[in-house]
Amino acid sequence: MSDELRLAVDRRGDGAVLYTKGYINNVGGEEIANRSYELLDAGVTTLLLNLKETKIVNSIGISILIEIIEKMMEKGGKLGFCCLTPVIQKTFQIMGLAQYASIYADEESAVKDLGLQKS
Amino acid sequence: MTPQAERQMELTLPMVPDIEIAAARAAGNLGREIGMSAEDVDEMAHAVVEACINAREHSYCVDQRIYLRFRGSSPDVQTLKVEVWITDNGQGFNLEEARLRRRGLSNTGPKKRGWGLQIMEAHMDEVEISTSENGTTVRMVKYGERKKL
Repeated sequence: MSDELRLAVDRRGDGAVLYTKGYINNVGGEEIANRSYELLDAGVTTLLLNLKETKIVNSIGISILIEIIEKMMEKGGKLGFCCLTPVIQKTFQIMGLAQYASIYADEESAVKDLGLQKS
Repeated sequence: MTPQAERQMELTLPMVPDIEIAAARAAGNLGREIGMSAEDVDEMAHAVVEACINAREHSYCVDQRIYLRFRGSSPDVQTLKVEVWITDNGQGFNLEEARLRRRGLSNTGPKKRGWGLQIMEAHMDEVEISTSENGTTVRMVKYGERKKL
């Protein structure tokens, strides 16, 4: 369907910002995971997921995001999220994702707090 | 929309990947049409997505269809109401087991999955599930407040 996830990556030193656009379902979640793991293997230790262009998620997609957080934590890295809609943020809280990853209102505050290079 | 007026819609959707988006859009359109806020519409859409995914993934129905009914109404001058029924003709499930799994008290399902019911309950004002060996119906209600002019 037309809500298929599109992903853009902005590499910033040992960090990266992933911009999502569209539906984070099982396929979208796997796409994010694959790109995240590639970045992790390439030496990235801090990831920020900017969900400004994502308006809908499902529990399967979020469960994959939780797996990414676990993998980042195993490797001593950090993962944050920014620009969530109120309903997506509420869904993250219900599923416990907010306990393990930082959530920021905007990219600027996320970049500052996570210590990412500015674009 | 005047109090007591109702809008109804029925849909039959095939159980194919991402069909839940079509169901969510239908619910959203009805919610917007009767004047619900964007956030209420968005919450309802997320709940409908989870109900449809549950039907698609767990019903094991032969006809591979999801039957949806939506009713939008305004019970009084201040209140807006959308009711959604999501039905499958599948094998049903053990509701008590699902509730235990939700509370993390069961070992029969992975904890990362099985959040659908909790998400539905968090985003909607009422959630009722009737399930039997002949199928499952999830009835959900979302109330909204009429915008002041």
